[in-house]
Amino acid sequence: MTALTRIASLRRFTPATRARMLGIALFALAIIVVVGPFVWVLANSFKSPIAILTGAWSFTPTLDNYVDVLSSKRSDFVHALMTSLVVATTSTAIVVAIATLAAYSLHRFAWARWAVRALLVWTIAFHVIPIITMVGPWYVAFRDLGLYDTRTALVLTHVVINLPVALWLMMSFFRSVPPEIEEAAMVDGCHSLAAFWYVVLPLVVPGLIATGVLAFIFSWNEFTIALNLTSQANATVPVVVSKFANDYEVQYGPMAAASILATLPALMLMFFGQRFVVQGLTLGAVK
Amino acid sequence: MRFIRKLAMTVASLLLVAAPGARSADKPFAEVGKQAPLTMLVPATPWLPAFSKLVEQYEAQTGNVVKLDVNPFAGVLDKARNDVHSGGGTYGALFLDTQWTIEMYEGGFVAPFTDIDPAFVMPKEVLTYGDSGYWNAQKRWRTSNGGKLMGFTVLGNVQVWYYRTDALKAAGLAPPKTWDDVLASCAKIAKPPATYGAVLRAERGNGIRYDWMQWMVERNGSVVKDPENGDFTVTLNSPANKASLDQFIEVGKKCGPPNPGSIGQGDVIQLVATGKALQAQIVLAAWSNFEDPKKSAVVGKLDVVPLPIPTGGVPGGVIGNWNYTIAKGASSGQKKSALAFAQWFLTYDAQYAYAKDGGIPNRTDVLASDLARDPAYRWMHAYAETMKSATQELGYVEGPQVEQILGLRLNQAVIGELSSAKALNVAAKEIHDVFAKNGRKTGIGPMLPE
Amino acid sequence: MSLRDPRGDGVFSATFKYWSVAPAVLVLAALTVLPALALLRMSVSTITFSEGHEHWALTPARNFAALFTDPGLAATVVNTLLFVIVAVAIEMVVGLALALLVGGLARGKGLMRTLLIVPILVPPVAIGNMFKLMYNYDFGLFNQILGALGLPAVSWLGSTSLALWSIVLVDVWHWVPFVFLILFAAVEALPIDVMEAAHVDGANRWQMLRRIKLPLLMPAIVVALVFRAILAFKAFDEVYLLTGGGPGTSSELVSLHLYRVFFEQNQLGYGALLSVLTIVVVLSMLAAGRRVVVGAGAA
Repeated sequence: MTALTRIASLRRFTPATRARMLGIALFALAIIVVVGPFVWVLANSFKSPIAILTGAWSFTPTLDNYVDVLSSKRSDFVHALMTSLVVATTSTAIVVAIATLAAYSLHRFAWARWAVRALLVWTIAFHVIPIITMVGPWYVAFRDLGLYDTRTALVLTHVVINLPVALWLMMSFFRSVPPEIEEAAMVDGCHSLAAFWYVVLPLVVPGLIATGVLAFIFSWNEFTIALNLTSQANATVPVVVSKFANDYEVQYGPMAAASILATLPALMLMFFGQRFVVQGLTLGAVK
Repeated sequence: MRFIRKLAMTVASLLLVAAPGARSADKPFAEVGKQAPLTMLVPATPWLPAFSKLVEQYEAQTGNVVKLDVNPFAGVLDKARNDVHSGGGTYGALFLDTQWTIEMYEGGFVAPFTDIDPAFVMPKEVLTYGDSGYWNAQKRWRTSNGGKLMGFTVLGNVQVWYYRTDALKAAGLAPPKTWDDVLASCAKIAKPPATYGAVLRAERGNGIRYDWMQWMVERNGSVVKDPENGDFTVTLNSPANKASLDQFIEVGKKCGPPNPGSIGQGDVIQLVATGKALQAQIVLAAWSNFEDPKKSAVVGKLDVVPLPIPTGGVPGGVIGNWNYTIAKGASSGQKKSALAFAQWFLTYDAQYAYAKDGGIPNRTDVLASDLARDPAYRWMHAYAETMKSATQELGYVEGPQVEQILGLRLNQAVIGELSSAKALNVAAKEIHDVFAKNGRKTGIGPMLPE
Repeated sequence: MSLRDPRGDGVFSATFKYWSVAPAVLVLAALTVLPALALLRMSVSTITFSEGHEHWALTPARNFAALFTDPGLAATVVNTLLFVIVAVAIEMVVGLALALLVGGLARGKGLMRTLLIVPILVPPVAIGNMFKLMYNYDFGLFNQILGALGLPAVSWLGSTSLALWSIVLVDVWHWVPFVFLILFAAVEALPIDVMEAAHVDGANRWQMLRRIKLPLLMPAIVVALVFRAILAFKAFDEVYLLTGGGPGTSSELVSLHLYRVFFEQNQLGYGALLSVLTIVVVLSMLAAGRRVVVGAGAA
C-alpha cells in the first residue's frame, strides 16, 4: 500500500475511533517514556562498571552488582530494606488515619473559619520549610528523649512531614462528596462516626489510595531525616543507596542494582495494597 | 646510613611477611592493651574496604572492638556536627575532610592527642600533609610550630598526571614535564572525536577550585598574602594567577572535550577508564579504578608522573586529605581507645598492610619499601615525589566561602562568561568582602586590566 | 461547607469533632512549633562555635545586609521561578491528560496506575545519577540515540542555555506520576450519574471535559498544583547531582543556594533567613493565586 492509500484508508475510521487510536498511541508513548529509563537502569544493573561507562548495548550480563549490594559489608541492604518497609508502612498507616479523621472533622463540623484557616496555612508553611533546617532541632530533641537512632523517631518525623499533603488531599476528596448523601445518613439515625465509617469513607476510597500511596512513597524515599536521625543500624534504603556515590566516584553498577531492589518491593506493595484497600472498604459500603 | 636503614627495613619486612602467620591474630603491630569499644564516623569511599580490613585485623590482634558508622560524604559532616554541637558522645573518632578540620578545631570540638595521653608521640616517618593535623589556637592556623597535635592523615590525596603509556610510546614521546609538553603531545596523540589528548576537571565548585589551584601554586601564586600571620590581603588577582588560569583554559580547550565547564571527577574517570581520554589530571586515589578489568578498559596501560609545571615554574601539589581526629565530647574510655587505635594504625606494619590492601600509606618508609618496586604500586614514586612540595590551601575558617566564590568565578572563566582577568578581579573583590566582614586584616591588590 | 448537627446527636458528635482533629494537631504541635520558632530566631542571629559551644548573637541588620551582597542571588531567584513555572505547568497538563486517559480505560486500571508511578518510586539519588549518565556527552543514552539518527551530539548539562531545561526534563519525568496519582483518584471519584446525564443530554467530549469534568476535578487540581509547586521550589537532589548549579549560574536554584549557605558554609543565621524569606514568598504567591482562582469562580 502506498502512503496515500494508507492515509485514505484511515478515513474509513470514524472520528471517535481515530481519537481512540490517537489515545492508544499517546498511551504507548507515555508508557515508553515513563518506564523506559527504569528499564535502562534494569539493564545497567546487570552490566559490569566498564560496560555501563561506555553505554554498551551488547554486554555479558553479570550478577556481581546484586551480589555486591546484598552481601557487601558496607551496605547492609537487606536490613535497610526491612527498616524501610516497617517505617514506611507504619508511618503511612498512621498519617492516613489521623489526616483522614482530621480532614473529615474540619470539613463536616462547625469550626471557626479562622481556626481551619490557621491550621491549613500552618501545614503549608511547615511544608515549605527546607528539611535541612528542621533536622538540627529534631536531632537534639530525639537524642534528649533517648530516641536517637530508633525507628520510632523516623516514623514520627515521617508522619509529620506527610501530614500537610495528606490533610489537604483528604479534605479535597471529602469536599467532592455530595452533601445530600451525608445528610441522608444522618436523618436515618446514624451518629457521626457511623456515618463517617459506613457512608462517607467508602466514597473517598480513591482518595485514600492516592494519599496512602503518596505517603508511602515519600516515606520510602525520604533521605535527609533518615540520614540525620539514624546510624548504620537503622539506616533506610535511600541512605544505603547514597553510599554508592562516594566522594568522587559513583558506583553505577551497584547503584543500579540497589535501585531495582529498592523499587520492586514498593511496586509490589502498591499493586497488591491498593486492591486490598478497595476490597476491604467497599465491603462495608451501604448502597 | 639511609641505605642501611632501608636495607634493614626491607629485610625486617621480608622476614615478617615470610614468617608463618605474620598477618594473623597472634602478633600485634603495637601493644595497646584492653580498650573500650570504639565507634568511628567514616565516609563511604573507595579506600574504605582497605581501611575496614585493617580494622578487622586490629580487632583480631588486640581483641578490642571497633564499630564503623559508614556514611555518604556530606553525611559525615552532617553527623559530625550533630554530634559535637550537642555535646558529643556518639563517636570516639571522627574522620574529617581537610576543609572541615578548621571548623572543628576552631570550635574546640576535637581533643588534642596529648590531652588524652601526654606521652603520645607521632612516629617521624609519618607524613604531616601540610600540618593539617596540628592546630595553633593563637594564630588560628594549622601548623606544628606551636600547634597541638589534633589528628593525622588516614588518606592523603594529591593530584598526579595520568597518561597512557601505549599512546605516548607510539608517538615517541616521553611523559610530559611542562604544560607546553602537554599541549604538544595532545596535537600528536589525540584523534578527536574518538580520543581526547588530555582532560581537566573544570566543573563548577570544588572541582575547578581544586584542579586549578595545582596550577596556581606552580607559579607561586596564592589567594591571600600571609594567612598564617594574620595578613589576609587578597592576592588572587595577580598576573601570575591570570597566566595559570589562561594556560588552564587553553589546555582544556585544545586538548579536551567540547564541554569543559561541566566535567567533574566522575566524568574524567569515565573518560580515562573507557580509553577516550589519553591523559588526565586526577587524584592518586582513583588509581584502583583503572587497574580493575571490570571497571576499566585500559588495565595496565596507565602510568602516573607528578603534575607538569609551567616553564619556569616550581613543583606544586595541593593536598586533600581525610584526618583522623578524636572527639572532645566522647567518653574518656572512647578517647583512650581512639588513641590506641591511632598508635596501632601508624606503625610500619599496619601501613604496609594498608598499602597492600589498596590504601595509600602515610609513612615515608612504606612508600620507599619493596612495594615501590612492584609494578602494581608504580604510583608510589609520583606520590612520594609530589608530597615533597605539596601544601594545604584554604586553611582558614572562611575556606568554604572562598571555595564557592572561586568555584563559580573560575568556572565562568572556563565557559567564557567572564574573561580570565574579570573573573579573577570579581572573585578577589568578593573574597575581600568575606574577610572584611569577618574582621580580618585585609586589603586588595590592583585590579588586572580587563 | 459544614452541616448543622442533627438532633439527638449532640454529645457524641461534639466529642468526635474534637478527638478526630486532636492527633493531627498534637503531632504538629509537638514536632513543628519549636523548630519553626528556632528557625525564626536563627534568621536574625549569627551563630558561631568556639570552646565546644554555640554562641548566638542577635544581628538582624547584618543578616539582611547579606542578602544584598550575596552574588548571584537574583539570577538564582529567576532560575527558580522559571523552573517552577515551566516544570509544574508541563506536569499538570501531562498528569491530567494521563489521568483522563487511564480513567477512560475499561480494564487494567490498577496495572496502569502501578506502572505509571514507577518514576516516583525510584530513590532520588539514583534518579540523579542515572540521568547524569544518560545525559553524558560522550557515552550517554540520549547522545547515542541522536548519533544513531545521524544528529550531532548535544551538551545537555554542559551548555548554559540547556542545563536548566535538562533538569526540568528530569523533574517532569520524576513528578508527573505525583500529579497523575492525585488527579486519577479524583477522576475515579467522578459521579457516574452526572456523566451519564450529560452524555444523554448530547454533550460531546470537549464539552464534557470543560463544563463538567474540570469543575468537578478542581479541588484535586488545586491540591496537586499547590503541593507540586512547593515541592518544585524545594527541588534539590536533581540539581545537586546533575549540574551542581552550573555551568556558571545557569542552573542554580534557591534550594541549592540554601544548601551551600546553610550547610557547606555553616552560615546558619543567613541560611535561616533565606529559608524564612522563601516561605514568605511562596505563601504570598499561594495567597495571590487563591485570590485569582476564587475570583474566577472556581473552588
